[in-house]
Amino acid sequence: MAMVKTPQPTSRRGFLTRLWIGLGVVAFLQILATTVLSLLSGRKRSQTGQDQIIEVGKLSDFPPGSVTFIALGHLYLCHLDTGGFLAISRKCTHLGCAIPWVTERKQFECPCHASVFDITGKVLKSPAPRALDLYPISFKRNQVTINIGKSIKRSTFKTEQLAHPQELS
Amino acid sequence: MTSHFLLHFRPKRIPKDALRFTLTWGLGGMAALMIVQQLFSGVLLGFFYEPHPVQAYESVQHIQSKVFLGQLLRNLHHWTGHALVIVVFLHMLRVFVSAAFYPPRHWNWLVGLGLGLLVLIANFSGYLLPWDQLSYWAVTIAISMLGYIPVLGMGLQNIIRGGEELGAATLQLFYTIHTTLIPLALALLMVYHFWFVRRAGGVLLSPAKKENTVETTKREYVSFAPELLVREIAFAAMVSCALLLFSMLVNAPLGNIANPALTPAAVKAPWYFLGAQELLLHVPAVFAVFVVPLVLVLFLGLIPFVGQKNGEPSPLVKFLFYGTLALLVGLTITGIWFRGPGMQLVWPW
Ligand code: FES
Repeated sequence: MAMVKTPQPTSRRGFLTRLWIGLGVVAFLQILATTVLSLLSGRKRSQTGQDQIIEVGKLSDFPPGSVTFIALGHLYLCHLDTGGFLAISRKCTHLGCAIPWVTERKQFECPCHASVFDITGKVLKSPAPRALDLYPISFKRNQVTINIGKSIKRSTFKTEQLAHPQELS
Repeated sequence: MTSHFLLHFRPKRIPKDALRFTLTWGLGGMAALMIVQQLFSGVLLGFFYEPHPVQAYESVQHIQSKVFLGQLLRNLHHWTGHALVIVVFLHMLRVFVSAAFYPPRHWNWLVGLGLGLLVLIANFSGYLLPWDQLSYWAVTIAISMLGYIPVLGMGLQNIIRGGEELGAATLQLFYTIHTTLIPLALALLMVYHFWFVRRAGGVLLSPAKKENTVETTKREYVSFAPELLVREIAFAAMVSCALLLFSMLVNAPLGNIANPALTPAAVKAPWYFLGAQELLLHVPAVFAVFVVPLVLVLFLGLIPFVGQKNGEPSPLVKFLFYGTLALLVGLTITGIWFRGPGMQLVWPW
């Protein structure tokens, strides 16, 4: 038996109910949007993306083979034996713990889940999924400056990531 | 007026069977009591707490050393918060065992899941507030887990932290959520949860298949007051006493002040996330922090709507439910007690 669908006229009551529900949803969305927008705009202070250049010292302060912790930038400035600088974030790429540089073994060792990284930030032992983040380095006259506003994600170490003072000075 | 209001939640007369303690083990009531208690102790703590990185830690110290009964107050809030997570979990387990989530109770199961989630968020957002090494790094790890969610993860992480690392912005967000949004949402949903139980005819007396056949006229009825009321008051007093006693004996931990430059050894996420953290060591990250939790929540949400057999979950649903829970509990226990520094497997003794 075929069913014949007759269009049901909406009663006034039904229409009003739907109207109220609709208005309620709109009101909720408004509140949600306002909240999200205000959160996004108001809490930008420590947001990344903007340049934030810090001077960390003279070139001669960082001899080849040295790893220096730069407290202000939460990073390590590494000068490789083979030449070239890297500004390496101290934040473990696994779950964000702060990694200390262990001088005796010349590597970064995470206290949380035992990830190990070499002086270039490359993963030597998982669970860390990728190499430690980098920050751009530049050399102005004899000064080393680092842009701590821009962190660079990378999967592993490549020689082109190294910053060389002679090229620029 | 008051009695009219209360009648929305409790009828004047209730079936005698509803008095049986093993019907519910008092878990839902216990959770409600604890939530109300948290509201009160939370307000008292709020009088002294300052949500800013350095002051936060000092104000917690102040509460513990200077405020009258402050240490006890903080202990109570701390331990009740953790116990609440367990009680809510057990409550859900009990409701599943007695299959009390089929229509007309199906929506209330979803409300209950929402409440459970809120309790988790409440605990997690409160976790950071003392701003000591423990809380700082536990929350760091937990938020970092979000980073493994595809596409949205990194952005979400930065919004929650308000930057690359935990700081004043994070603390303020957590504080506001913990002290306004969560209590409000909990209170509203809780009222709804209780009212819904009442509307569905009180607690489920026996699995649905039998309930329909027993003639309701044959049932013996007793009056709510005093029969059920005294039992509830006695039980509430017992639970409160137990929490108070525990809080008098065991202090809530407070480590050194948070130091973003130094991660203490053997730091872990809050214990209820250790299941996920443990999973993270065994399966690809996307699964551990995204796929598995999502599937779990969806599965729990769908339970009232699928696989029903004579008012009971089908064997498959039961198998999946108990299997998942066993796995979750197993992983969590491993994460809590069997992982030492550097996530090495260790014996807890
Ligand atoms: S946070 Fe470094 S290994 Fe997990």
